[in-house]
Amino acid sequence: MNTPVVLDPMTLPSDDNVNSYTFCVELKGSRWFLQKGKMIAYYGQISFDGIGHGRFERLVRTSFHSPLHASDWVVAEGSGKMLLADRAFDVNSFDLDDGNLTIRSGNLLAYEPSLALKQSIVPGFVTLIGTGKFVAASNGPVVFMEPPLRVDPQALVGWADCPSPCHHYDHGYMTGVMGGIRSLTGIGGTSGEEHQFEFVGAGTVLMQSSEALMAEQATGLVPNEPGVPGGPGGGGQHGSTPRMPGQLGDLQRRFGL
Amino acid sequence: MFRLQGSKTLAVDLAGDSVKAKNGSMVAYDGRMTFKKMSGGGEGLRGMVTRRLTGEQMTVMEVSGQGTCYFADRASEINLVSLHGDKLYVEASNLLATDAGLRTGTTFTGLRGGASGNGLFTTTVEGTGQAAIVSDGTAVLLRVSPQYPLMVDPGAYIAHQGRLQQSFQSGVNFRTLMGEGSGEAFQIRFEGDGLVYVQPSERNTVGGDV
Repeated sequence: MNTPVVLDPMTLPSDDNVNSYTFCVELKGSRWFLQKGKMIAYYGQISFDGIGHGRFERLVRTSFHSPLHASDWVVAEGSGKMLLADRAFDVNSFDLDDGNLTIRSGNLLAYEPSLALKQSIVPGFVTLIGTGKFVAASNGPVVFMEPPLRVDPQALVGWADCPSPCHHYDHGYMTGVMGGIRSLTGIGGTSGEEHQFEFVGAGTVLMQSSEALMAEQATGLVPNEPGVPGGPGGGGQHGSTPRMPGQLGDLQRRFGL
Repeated sequence: MFRLQGSKTLAVDLAGDSVKAKNGSMVAYDGRMTFKKMSGGGEGLRGMVTRRLTGEQMTVMEVSGQGTCYFADRASEINLVSLHGDKLYVEASNLLATDAGLRTGTTFTGLRGGASGNGLFTTTVEGTGQAAIVSDGTAVLLRVSPQYPLMVDPGAYIAHQGRLQQSFQSGVNFRTLMGEGSGEAFQIRFEGDGLVYVQPSERNTVGGDV
């Protein structure tokens, strides 16, 4: 029989993993940004306040630039040790050294204020810029890959130092009547892998070893400005006609209507 | 007698004696076993009525025989707890198996249970022997000593043992009401001397979104 390890404030690691599902952050009068509800326990004097708290004015100005995610984040402040975990997903800490990393917003648990959080122009992702430590969750251990590579959309956690990915559709899936019928009905067989994200350039791509996604939280919409992808008036240049898969562009556009 | 087969299966070697386990948690056995559902968790008529009234319901079976019996519950991690005359407080849904010699009962937890969404009562296990509790992900075992009180999120709490006082701590203020809540508005504060089991996952709680 294995005897479980009993931990107390002395034996808990400082800014390191307790086990693969739990991470311990030590605060010494410092602050950390934390996604709401990821703290499971703490020792010491720590207070949790929403981003909108007046005292954080300066902190938010330098390290938090995402009004859409503001309601999901809190600032932990004080001294002590706190444990972070998320739905028994694997958690890992990463160090950025004057770098940048883009990550699915639900996978980011916490970060040091020496990093700045900005919303990525890829909807649902956020970018961390600067030097410091952050903690991220993944379903199963994280795998690091080098571009060029194509990844399954559900397995993508994030990417560092490389340009944004683009969509890649397998040719047979995209063109022709038969391809359209196949992908629409499944008759003739679909592998479920006809669509990938493609990464090129230099950098690192972070993958999780399962295709289970975290529930996405509705964060609202980006400003309604022309040229902003994902915005209500920005990206959608074609009308409301639903597009059939297997169609190269909309019919009316091909006829110049 | 209790041992872990991997981290998610509990193996119990029986030699004519018996063990109490959550109903339907047997996954395999060798040897000869008999399974008997225990009405009211084997706590008699009074225990049965108490459990029904408190909502801390637990359907328990008694397994007895010769050989090895294996238990598991939805691939949750299993933690073994040895009791030497002391008392373990655990949520009924997290209790997988206990030695037949251990007494189980219900106790009032106060406000803490209301916030953790587990009702106002919890299950106690008392006596000398072993118990197995389940957690979503590897549980972290934290010591509470007089100089180091511990604050725990109600959704991540699974069990505690020792001489601990628990109180309910709330950070609700006018910002919470304005939708500027911290998401960590409710905590259970443990003080005294003992151990607390915390799981790396949060149940949906009433207080969790505030």
